[in-house]
Amino acid sequence: MPVDTKRVRGPEVSQSPSLFLGRPVAVLPSSGPRADGRQRDQVDVRPVFVRCGLVSQAKGSAYIEAGNTKLMCCVYGPRETERKDETDMKCGRLTTDMRFAPFSCPERGSWIQGSQDKDFSLMLHESLQPAVCLHKYPRSQIEVNVMVLENSGSVLAHAITCASLALADAGIEMYDLVLGCSIRQDGASYVVDPSYMEENYSSSASSENQGGLTVAFLPSLNQISGLQSDGEMTEEILTAGVRTCIEGCYKLYPVIQQALAKAVRKAAPPPSES
Amino acid sequence: MATVQVSEAEKVYILHGIRDDLRVDGRGCEDYRHMEIETDVVSNTDGSAKVTLGHTAVLVGIKAEIGKPRPTVPNEGYLEFFVDCSANATPEFEGRGGEGLGTELSNTLYKVFNNKHSVDLKSLSICAGEHCWVLYVDVLLLQCDGNLYDAISVAIKAALFNTKIPRVHISTDEEGGKEIELSDDPYDCMRLNVENVPCIVTLCKVGHRHVVDATLQEKACSVASLIISVTHKGTVTCTRKVGGGSLDPESIFEMTEAGKRVGKALHAPLMKLLQQEERLGKKKQKVGFLG
Repeated sequence: MPVDTKRVRGPEVSQSPSLFLGRPVAVLPSSGPRADGRQRDQVDVRPVFVRCGLVSQAKGSAYIEAGNTKLMCCVYGPRETERKDETDMKCGRLTTDMRFAPFSCPERGSWIQGSQDKDFSLMLHESLQPAVCLHKYPRSQIEVNVMVLENSGSVLAHAITCASLALADAGIEMYDLVLGCSIRQDGASYVVDPSYMEENYSSSASSENQGGLTVAFLPSLNQISGLQSDGEMTEEILTAGVRTCIEGCYKLYPVIQQALAKAVRKAAPPPSES
Repeated sequence: MATVQVSEAEKVYILHGIRDDLRVDGRGCEDYRHMEIETDVVSNTDGSAKVTLGHTAVLVGIKAEIGKPRPTVPNEGYLEFFVDCSANATPEFEGRGGEGLGTELSNTLYKVFNNKHSVDLKSLSICAGEHCWVLYVDVLLLQCDGNLYDAISVAIKAALFNTKIPRVHISTDEEGGKEIELSDDPYDCMRLNVENVPCIVTLCKVGHRHVVDATLQEKACSVASLIISVTHKGTVTCTRKVGGGSLDPESIFEMTEAGKRVGKALHAPLMKLLQQEERLGKKKQKVGFLG
């Protein structure tokens, strides 16, 4: 466990007060409507607010809000790479970094990247790499930094969407936008785009088929660039879940395209009078 | 992962062979290489196993220690995974070079075991909220020739089967404090039920077909792989796509189905072999590391 010697963080053994709750954590029902009014067993994603071009210093940036999940992404590059490997001579390198603000989750996290953050960064990298035309940027490095401001569920899926939007805003050549969608399987029913409560506190009604799945999808090419699942599911449920996530991505596509077009139009110079 | 350079002509050769279900070493697309498993190789651990899959060699040591349970689940013990890519395997892993790969492997192992049924965590509890067994599963990569996930998961399953956790007795002394006593008999120990421990199957997409247990050359010809961890009942506990390429949804469905089939078929012979080795007891010939 790396120790942070630069910041004074308070007592070592501090704990979140939610551990001392007298009553047990409310168990979410596994049937009936969801807490925020959406439907289960249907591709009901949260309405999404996206904007590009927030950070003036970055080459490209994007901000996404879905329900209470808020995250922003900045893209820097293409820049000259420091390491001169033979592989860098032929195509560029994409580095991704995903961080959680310590106040983003209900329990306070730390600023040092834990193994979970590194895992998310790796997943983000694997999801974005097939979409970016790295062969057009030899000897360069493109940096993608995602910062999660508030984690209210489905954070990886939205990070993937935000990062691909920021890459497009930066003018990096891509084969297609990458969209992310996630699903939580709870017994026989599933919920698309789960909130934090739905992700972590599942109903213990059935012990089978409890798991989560995140898919990164390229809509026009019909390719899956990222897939991650955990929990326990049968293969049929997994396959059905992947299909549902793909549908969720198709639902999100027009919104993202519109946001991108708006940003480009705003940045373009006004048409000349003559 | 250690990589080899493969020329274009070699790539075409491997691709065409796999298209006709014939790999470079004569295997079919869903065949494993020769696998050797030996348990109880390190005497200082509570359980250990060494697995050699072709030229890949992995050593797993499990140590059980008494610790404080996690605050959110006070009546369960837990497992901690750590994968060390030793510089013995390839010079790329010297210093901190192997850290990236090691973290990736450990994180996947956490996900694979992140469910209620793989290991019975309640049996690892000693005193709810105060003491529990923590199993430190340490994986050491000795040689790297592709297909690390599969070898590691088989080694972990064998090591967990071999783990002997000493029995403890809790006694309360005069002031009401609890005292833990380890039993004196070294053979009085608790064994773990590894029926539900999953095995990981890695499927590499080469051309239009997928192969199981790819060597480094075959890996260099593939753009993406799918890792799927399957229990003996056929439930999938973790899937993950690795590699810098993208996959068609149809190939993902095909690969999941093939992975489930191959993974399910791996468990029965493995358990039989482990039980056979256990029965040999003192008569077992120790092969060790030079065999």
